[in-house]
Amino acid sequence: MRSEFVRIYKAVHTWTGIIAGMALFIAFYAGALTVFKEPLARWASPPNAIRPVGLEDAQQLIVGTLATHPAAARDFTLYVQDAENVPARLGWHVRNPDADDHDDSQVRHYAATLDAHGAAQVEETHPSRLASFIDTLHRVVGLPADSDPNRWVMGVVAALYALALVSGVVVLLPSLVKDFFALRVGKNLKRMWLDAHNVVGIVSLPFHLVMALTAVVFAYHDGIYAVQDRLLHDGKWGTAFQRQRPAPGAAERDPATMLPPLEILARVREFSPGFEPTMLQYQQVGGPRAVVVRVWGKDAAAVSPRARGGFAAVDPYSGKVVGSDSLPGRQSTPNLFISSFFALHMAAFGGTPVQWMYFLLGLAGAWLFYSGNLLWVESRRKKQARQGGELPAQRLDVRLMAAATVGVCLGCVCGVSLAIVGSKWLHGLASDANAWLPALYYGAFFASIGWAFLRGAARASVHLLWLAATLTAAIPLTSLLAWSLPALGMWTHTSEASLGVDATALAGAAAFAWMARATARRVRSGAPDSVWSASGAQTRPEAGVPAAQAPR
Amino acid sequence: MATAKHSPIRRDWLSKTLAGLVLGAVLALGGSGLFLQFSTDMPLSVRGQLAMWMVPPIWLGVLGGVFFFASGLRAWLWLGGTGALVLGALSALRLS
Repeated sequence: MRSEFVRIYKAVHTWTGIIAGMALFIAFYAGALTVFKEPLARWASPPNAIRPVGLEDAQQLIVGTLATHPAAARDFTLYVQDAENVPARLGWHVRNPDADDHDDSQVRHYAATLDAHGAAQVEETHPSRLASFIDTLHRVVGLPADSDPNRWVMGVVAALYALALVSGVVVLLPSLVKDFFALRVGKNLKRMWLDAHNVVGIVSLPFHLVMALTAVVFAYHDGIYAVQDRLLHDGKWGTAFQRQRPAPGAAERDPATMLPPLEILARVREFSPGFEPTMLQYQQVGGPRAVVVRVWGKDAAAVSPRARGGFAAVDPYSGKVVGSDSLPGRQSTPNLFISSFFALHMAAFGGTPVQWMYFLLGLAGAWLFYSGNLLWVESRRKKQARQGGELPAQRLDVRLMAAATVGVCLGCVCGVSLAIVGSKWLHGLASDANAWLPALYYGAFFASIGWAFLRGAARASVHLLWLAATLTAAIPLTSLLAWSLPALGMWTHTSEASLGVDATALAGAAAFAWMARATARRVRSGAPDSVWSASGAQTRPEAGVPAAQAPR
Repeated sequence: MATAKHSPIRRDWLSKTLAGLVLGAVLALGGSGLFLQFSTDMPLSVRGQLAMWMVPPIWLGVLGGVFFFASGLRAWLWLGGTGALVLGALSALRLS
């Protein structure tokens, strides 16, 4: 390839990377955690005081609830599996019609149970929004709400990310064979970081291409559908998903004559033995349209169309499976093709091992953007003359970029950990712990950015890494404290999922502590002609003398 | 035409980027239209989704590759020509 192309694409890579890098770090760090959204939600859910109802009594619960609360009939869910974040056997939610479809903060949740006499009892619940808050950070690159304009911002970031991937590969291609298996650990730190950046980028390239392209689709699908409807579908796109119209004079059927949930589950298991149902979503019960129950669940051996799995559509009166377009393992080839885009983004295939793989790939991706910014900074480093001489002052834009990178990336890490810890501590203290999550996250995020600019990238990176380690370690410590001092009013769940959150946080805290120590060493005794040196960050050269002599 | 070996590669940031953005969109939408013409045996809900999903890869693929053109003018001519072919084929298919 001609070297001119490499230079042109290097400019594309630099610009797209530097514009999108920090937003992508947030999207990937929060996204890696979102792979385990359900365990996080379970960890953060307060213990349940609602009376449990057995699955065998579920039909009575449904009929009783619908009789007293007709509002539930539009769309309610019967949970098959018990978990900390499942408030009751039956629940539904009501969305604010004025709010965005993706805005979870405007949703009111209700749960139904049976009292000792078998009568339905309904109460409003306030589930923890911690997991969906982190998911929102992931979806809109750290912006506070999952709204249309914020998704469009995310879409631009994702498109720049796609360009950065293409250009990065073009830049690397001519020297790929030479550079790929080389990780030159040694004196030339920039060379080592570049080698590592290249290896991580090339090895996880398929993952990143999938993420970039699906994210662009998630941002702009409404717009693309609208344009295609006008130009290509002749305005018929709206009819493609139209559900069966009510037959004239169709009688509204009595919900009590529906098959009991256990029977529906048995029919679905018979239809697809590998499928493990998690919940039954009833839609339009008692209405004039055909009632459909979506039996949601997962099949570890198949591709799921959504993060929470897929579903079989069942007629609850006859028990017949009327639709398997979204049932894992039973989809038509074109539907499977479409589902695979979602599954590849959301790790909805292959079960827990793939989720762990995505978690690690997501963290590696976050590191990729962090290291990209570091390489930008290192490439603009002013070196000290070989024979000593005066320490050169680093360029202002380089110092600012280094501070912004450290502040934004570590601020995101600190903010997420603080929000996780705070969700448990504030449960008893604040009337609505959910309302505090943005304040905790953005408080830590902007404070970190401020600190990074105030103290310079070198010193702040050490402080913020220790802060990240402390806040992350506070996650399992909070659980430990809640377990040993029940008077605090907190809780510790002992399910594998919930303890997994604690264990992962402990490992994360250890990793941050290790990074903090390594960074401190470099800041103290690394080359002084760098923004990563406590002496180099200063414009006064004499400040470098004691640092350079500090013992290792 | 002069051989590409000796002609310098012009950077033409603005015109190349615009060619990638505008003509990439034309090619992506035109390509998805061609796909819709050739997939009438699938239900509309399915082929419509596939047609939507193919727009960003084509668009960003064109935008990513556009800097390989020797100049902005060549990018506009080649991509514009291809776009005209795709749109021509599409309208011929839709009218027939």
